[in-house]
Amino acid sequence: MNEARRRGPTQPSGPAEVISDCYLGDRRPSSQASNPRCPQFDWGSAPTGDEEGPQDLRGRPLSMSLKRAVWQVQQMRVPAVSKGESWKRKRTKLLRKLREGTREFLYLFSPWRKALQLIAGNFGGGVQSFFVLLRFLVLLNFFSFLLIAGFVLVPSIVFSSEGSDSVNVSGLGECMEYNPNPQGLVPFYSYVLDVLLGTGFVELSYLFYGFYKNTLVQGTNFYNIPLAYIFTAVFYIAFCLICIVARLGTTARVVVATGGGSSGNYSMIAFASWDYGSLGEKETKLKQKNILYRLQVDLEEERLKKQAAALTLKQKIILYSLRVILFFLALGLIIAALVGIFMATQFSQERSGQEGILGLIIQYLPSIVITAGNFVVPMLCDQISLLERYSPSLTIILALMRAVFLRLFGLCVLLFTLWSQVTCSGNPEEDDCRLCQYNHKLYPCWETRVGQEMYKLTVFDLLVTIATLVLVEFPRRMLVDNWSNKLVQKLGRQEFVVPANVLVLVYGQTVVWTGALFCPLLPLINTVKFIILFYCKKITLFCNCRPALRTFRSTTSTFFFLVVLLFGWGLATAVMTYSLAAIHPSLSCGPFRFFANMWLIVPTTFHTLPDTTKEFLFFIGSQAFSIPLFILLCVVLCYFIALASVYGKTVGLLRAQLKLEGRDKQFLVKQIEALSEHL
Amino acid sequence: MGNKQTTFTAQQLDAYQDCTYFTRKEILRLFYRYRDLAPQLVPLDYTNHPDVTLPYELIGSMPELKDNPFRQRIAEVFSEDGQGNMTLDDFLDMFSVLSEMAPRDLKAYYAFKIYDFNNDDFICKSDLEKTLNKLTRNELTEDEVRMVCEKVIDEADLDNDGRLSLEDFQHMIVQAPEFLSTFHIRI
Repeated sequence: MNEARRRGPTQPSGPAEVISDCYLGDRRPSSQASNPRCPQFDWGSAPTGDEEGPQDLRGRPLSMSLKRAVWQVQQMRVPAVSKGESWKRKRTKLLRKLREGTREFLYLFSPWRKALQLIAGNFGGGVQSFFVLLRFLVLLNFFSFLLIAGFVLVPSIVFSSEGSDSVNVSGLGECMEYNPNPQGLVPFYSYVLDVLLGTGFVELSYLFYGFYKNTLVQGTNFYNIPLAYIFTAVFYIAFCLICIVARLGTTARVVVATGGGSSGNYSMIAFASWDYGSLGEKETKLKQKNILYRLQVDLEEERLKKQAAALTLKQKIILYSLRVILFFLALGLIIAALVGIFMATQFSQERSGQEGILGLIIQYLPSIVITAGNFVVPMLCDQISLLERYSPSLTIILALMRAVFLRLFGLCVLLFTLWSQVTCSGNPEEDDCRLCQYNHKLYPCWETRVGQEMYKLTVFDLLVTIATLVLVEFPRRMLVDNWSNKLVQKLGRQEFVVPANVLVLVYGQTVVWTGALFCPLLPLINTVKFIILFYCKKITLFCNCRPALRTFRSTTSTFFFLVVLLFGWGLATAVMTYSLAAIHPSLSCGPFRFFANMWLIVPTTFHTLPDTTKEFLFFIGSQAFSIPLFILLCVVLCYFIALASVYGKTVGLLRAQLKLEGRDKQFLVKQIEALSEHL
Repeated sequence: MGNKQTTFTAQQLDAYQDCTYFTRKEILRLFYRYRDLAPQLVPLDYTNHPDVTLPYELIGSMPELKDNPFRQRIAEVFSEDGQGNMTLDDFLDMFSVLSEMAPRDLKAYYAFKIYDFNNDDFICKSDLEKTLNKLTRNELTEDEVRMVCEKVIDEADLDNDGRLSLEDFQHMIVQAPEFLSTFHIRI
């Protein structure tokens, strides 16, 4: 019951101080009979809070009627402000309107908002973070495609009739042979094979590097297609980096500000775990079961920790040696998978001439082995980790690290194998590579072949996802729903495992980044693939999955996934830089056929620039400019580091002060009790 | 801004915009949600400030709230009479605080009020027990509830008085990264 309590006499202070008093928890009993909220507002105060404009009003914990009354009073006080103040007010109001306008505009760029809301309400924040990442990648790929289309594809189509610049290179006639068109009659299914493998009519299209000409359009429309190609590729990679880092920044802010949240486990569960946005009775019951499970697991972990601390020395030694053995076992499994990928790629590249279904399988062999490895090895590692008996959080992190390691290194091995075959392991004196600086017998147009490998990986990934959906997940659901065998019921419906799915996304995106230089339309294919993936995963989530019993911490994990995405980006950038700078482009196809390496077009074009521009660019690149710039950046960096450390120290000091104040208060309360006893 | 709505005067809409985290469109949309709960009670014209209060039963039956175990406390905290009967002002205020734009401090303040079942400005052991029982559907044993309450007070109580004040609560909730996203109703 709310008793009518009078508020004690207060010092008349400005509205700001009164509100902040009320805000920080005024421990005197709240006044005013039936309103449990904090309605104190000193009307008799002078208008001191002119700097805080209207936007501060909504952040104050007052009842709405009081807020509106304050707002009215503020409006009426307007004539009393000076010209400077009113201009400032107008500017802040304009800024706010602008911000809200941009917010409404950005809604255009957030498709599937309703679907995401529904997912979050029914399955929680962890699953929603997967779909948010997927949507981000769809938008990233789409805008990358627009970039590439605008600068490379459209000019290539528009200027495709212009003649290409052909330099006379004698003695290298063999290197210039390149004819991917199939000869003679072709069986009807070869068109399907061509789409799946990227050969045939697909190979000679704008999809692959080999089709672009080194047109140098002169005259009224000056456009240097090779230069545009390189700069677009470089800018595309930089654009992706900027987007990811921006997104990482917003996530990192939350993680850093809250200090990782390692302490206060039980209070977190009690006060911060209930999702107020969850809908539906079934989901609520499930969430409650979830919280029950978490509390029970935590209490159990405490008990186990106490037990583990009480282990004898002998038991500890056994446990640690077991852990070391299992670590090497897991490492061995991963290395075995990588060796398998290496051998599969070599085999597939050597037998690339096969026809028919067998040829199709051989072509797809690297993709098959990679996918199989990425499926089997984490499963085995999961079984191993059961024996290792780490704490649950450490187990999850370890499993994620192993899976990431396997995926990215699998891709590395594939690329390394390709490289060793194209450049004869970097040895230009070997027989095959002596003539053209690359293996022209196996690879008349090696960039297109690399592009085809990436294309095949992407397509195979999509096919496997759809096949799993149709052949594994739906049947499993139907089995569980209709067959009441004990074993089947124990297996239960599928759980939507977020980390595994996110790694699939990261892997797919890394493949696209690696292949974009050789297959410019790959971002478009990836956009379509991710859109299909979104709908497939949504369908599977709602039809086949049950919500996970163990929830997934969304904020720190989002940060981790973006970091893993950055690793993939790093790999792709390394590959691209190496291809641009070190490998000799094919002589028979592509826009760079008459250069020793792709990057050489930039210096060549540079020399054709007018003198003043050349001097300006030389100046920017020279030491006279870059060293002062570097020093300036170092100074700015030091400033920010100092600022961050000062804030960190302040936070620590304030925390200690809070504890001290609590103890002071306790001491004073005891003194008061002791004194009142004497009286 | 060109829309011909006659529910609110321009000044009223401005006031609502400045007092909540919603735009004009969202305020109107929320008004229609409020009205849908009881079309015969809520007039379409709010320009002369009608005094309309919807009873708690209607508020508690909204799809966003009806399965929330804390819906009664939420309505009580945001209503003027403390019993859960809400005017349009209270309704807008509630969803504004629970929207994604509201800052952490404001949400922490109201979360504290929600979990303070006996309205004594402290979260004491009995408040905690009620919270835990609502969170787990009364399925924890007495022992477990007691242990968890002890642990929570151990972790969060800074001034060692055996109960959580607003400062303890705010200090603890600042370290929870997912508080902002869980204390959030999408409407």
